[in-house]
Amino acid sequence: MPRDGRSLAALALSWLVLIGAVPLLRLLAEGVASPGPVFADPAVWRAARRSLAVAAGASGCAAALGAALAWALLLRGPLPGRRALVFAAVLPLLVPPQVMALGWIQATGPSSPLLLALDLAPPLGTTNPVYSPVGMILLLGVQGAPLVFLTLAGTLRRIPGEAVLAARGLGAAPQAALRHVVWPLLAPALAAGAGLAYIAALGNFGVGALIGIPARYIVLTVLIWQKLSTGGAAALAEAAAIALLLAVMAAPALALQGWAARAAPLAGRQAVAPLALGAARWGIAALVLAYLVVVLIVPLAALAAAALVPAVGVPIGAATATLGNFAAALAAGSHTLRAIGNSLMLSFGAAAILALASLPVALSLRRSEVKLGSAAADLPYALPGTCTAVAAILVVLSLPGGMALYGSLAVILLAYLTRFQALALRPVAAAAARLDPLLDHAARGMGAGTLRRVLSVHAPPLAPALAAGAILVALTAINEVTVSVLLYGPGTQTLGVLVFTLQESGQSAQAAAVSCLALALMAALMAAATLAARRLPAGTLPWRP
Amino acid sequence: MLLGRRPFARLAAAGLALPALRPARAAVSGPLVLYTSQLEPDAARTVEAFRALHPGVQVDWIRGGTGTIMTRLRAEIAAGSPRPDVLLLADSLTFEGLKEEGRLRPAPEVNTAGVPADYIAADRSYFGTKLITTGIMHHIRAPFVPARWTDLTDPRARGQVAMPSPAVSGAAAIHVLALTQNPALGWPYIEKLVEGGVQARGGNGPVMQAVAGGERAFGIVIDYLPIREAAKGAPVRFVFPEDGVSAITEPAAILSSARNVPAAIAFIDFLLSPEGQRLAASQGFLPADPAVAPPPGFPDPRTIRIMPFDAARAARERDETLRRFAALTGS
Repeated sequence: MPRDGRSLAALALSWLVLIGAVPLLRLLAEGVASPGPVFADPAVWRAARRSLAVAAGASGCAAALGAALAWALLLRGPLPGRRALVFAAVLPLLVPPQVMALGWIQATGPSSPLLLALDLAPPLGTTNPVYSPVGMILLLGVQGAPLVFLTLAGTLRRIPGEAVLAARGLGAAPQAALRHVVWPLLAPALAAGAGLAYIAALGNFGVGALIGIPARYIVLTVLIWQKLSTGGAAALAEAAAIALLLAVMAAPALALQGWAARAAPLAGRQAVAPLALGAARWGIAALVLAYLVVVLIVPLAALAAAALVPAVGVPIGAATATLGNFAAALAAGSHTLRAIGNSLMLSFGAAAILALASLPVALSLRRSEVKLGSAAADLPYALPGTCTAVAAILVVLSLPGGMALYGSLAVILLAYLTRFQALALRPVAAAAARLDPLLDHAARGMGAGTLRRVLSVHAPPLAPALAAGAILVALTAINEVTVSVLLYGPGTQTLGVLVFTLQESGQSAQAAAVSCLALALMAALMAAATLAARRLPAGTLPWRP
Repeated sequence: MLLGRRPFARLAAAGLALPALRPARAAVSGPLVLYTSQLEPDAARTVEAFRALHPGVQVDWIRGGTGTIMTRLRAEIAAGSPRPDVLLLADSLTFEGLKEEGRLRPAPEVNTAGVPADYIAADRSYFGTKLITTGIMHHIRAPFVPARWTDLTDPRARGQVAMPSPAVSGAAAIHVLALTQNPALGWPYIEKLVEGGVQARGGNGPVMQAVAGGERAFGIVIDYLPIREAAKGAPVRFVFPEDGVSAITEPAAILSSARNVPAAIAFIDFLLSPEGQRLAASQGFLPADPAVAPPPGFPDPRTIRIMPFDAARAARERDETLRRFAALTGS
């Protein structure tokens, strides 16, 4: 690398150290310094066992569902309405977990409008069946299934169709070629996807809190929140130690992903053609549709119904439906508008900063020290979000006057920058690797300096990838709750935190109304992103694999 | 003693009381941080009504159960930077504790308007704003309509009673203390409740939700939630038990560490003013000011029986009682 690339690399490296390595090391130092008493507490180990059980169960559930979806939608076919089904199959990933949990709570209780209409409602005095570890596993499994499906879809794009042709040429029947050639090549991706779902479930707060607390099944993320919200700064060392435990529990899944990445097939020139189905395709399409109706329409319809009742327990109908909960949610002085504003500001702010920061990082990734720095910045995205939040508190409190920042939007923004840098960098790094080095040489030959070359030569072709990174960050951060619930203060509630606190304080109708608004916001952002990202390669937007 | 029957004697004289003349409001401004145990929509309305009078004040607030807010505040105090200017929490015992630690700023400047003196601490360090009682709610399809506290130990109520956790709700803490002081009920009654499957969990909102949503048939809960929601059609009713309710006054106070004292005073002025009291009544609370009409759905306040309550004894026994209760219920 030429000498004058150094300033760019230095810039990239210092940014990565600042938002990646520093928070991680701070967490490590705090957690290792005072691990003693926390690990003598049986409640911590009980929560760890429960987290493990829920995450493992959800991961298995997600692997089965994701593989079945990939088989039906990508390997066989063409199913009628395939594009729409693929879109819908990815949606559970984009519905915030706390909103999905709320939908199921509303859908299955003794006052469920749906079950009442079907005369299937549990009798008076029955605890909601969703308030159970099995409920948590199923919910997180459904939410994790798209992660498995998308990992499989990404790998399938790379599997050489030539391999299938070769197997057919050797006399294998189409079914056999699928079974003996394609699935073995997909196996590492299945494992990687299951690993992603495992970590997502392990680090999940929304489901853990909204279902786990009423079910008296406290998992680690909820335990950390309880420690921090009842013990404040004194409990910080404990929280740091538990966050490290969470990180250790995530490690096997990270190793699995690393192995899968090395085992990924080399791309071929021809895509694998889906195997034609006969009349069975209608049946399979109906089955997929039924699954998607159950996991998407049922909870969201229950949520909408819950948002429209005048009071909890009133059956929904044309005569009773009211927009009063929406009016209360949007009334002047309520937290909703403020929370929407905070979430928009945080997610768009983080998206813009991270996309901008991705440019120097992606352009100097060939240097080993920058590569190492970016690996450190990958970790906060790969690890449970709780670890990032605790690390952010620790970093801020070690600044002079940091206590004044505690609970401010600045701390949440810092945590988002740490958590989502990897997400913003991924598409930019991929695009930068495809840039022709001749362009850079030519520009340097004409005497253009580093800044000039970055802005006029590299930035324009990378612009779509920068936008894609920003879109992914904005969509992920807008309904985020795991990180912000540990960091918010007066006036800095995010949308995710508001839904959680409303439901926790028993304001379920208003929580449902705010959830509906959050979903509408999400849909609007997705529509805008779809329009903005038309020219991006397939797989950039999660719902267009 | 702040609680007792006397507020109701004042209520009886409601027609006679005149709203106090209000001095001209000084313009207050700047940020004001409020920690409150009011539920989200009620706190939002209270804050907004105050902001309508004082548009220069930017109110940042969070809500939580009294117990939850207090642990947060304790942690902030331990870290050396308590954030709130004003507290609006459930019960006077909590404020007595803070007062003894010197954490409250007495506010002789506050205009108490028509609020009777027995709602207000003698040194004016905290100000009761309304009367909230804890009684029994039931689902309309419940197997029977309870009339007394002992009805909740009926075999038909087994596993069917929800109650808030005293660790979260200030009203629940006072209720448990009032029960233990009641010679007719006491610990034997609480033990029977727990044997019958009562779990103390969360605040009053979740209890309301559990009963309205049909997960439990009965609830031990503050009055205004079921009365207000029943008026909107919720399938619940509230009963003032014959053997008496427990009561709290939801006081407001200014912290000695408050950064914006003028705005904090204006906020408490507003809560006690006829407008503030009318707002409380419109939200479904029994107002402290006897000149303000109680909200619909409440019986004649004079017919409500409040359990005797020795505040000094409660202050002494509070921690030990709540610890024993938590050990009993495993909450």
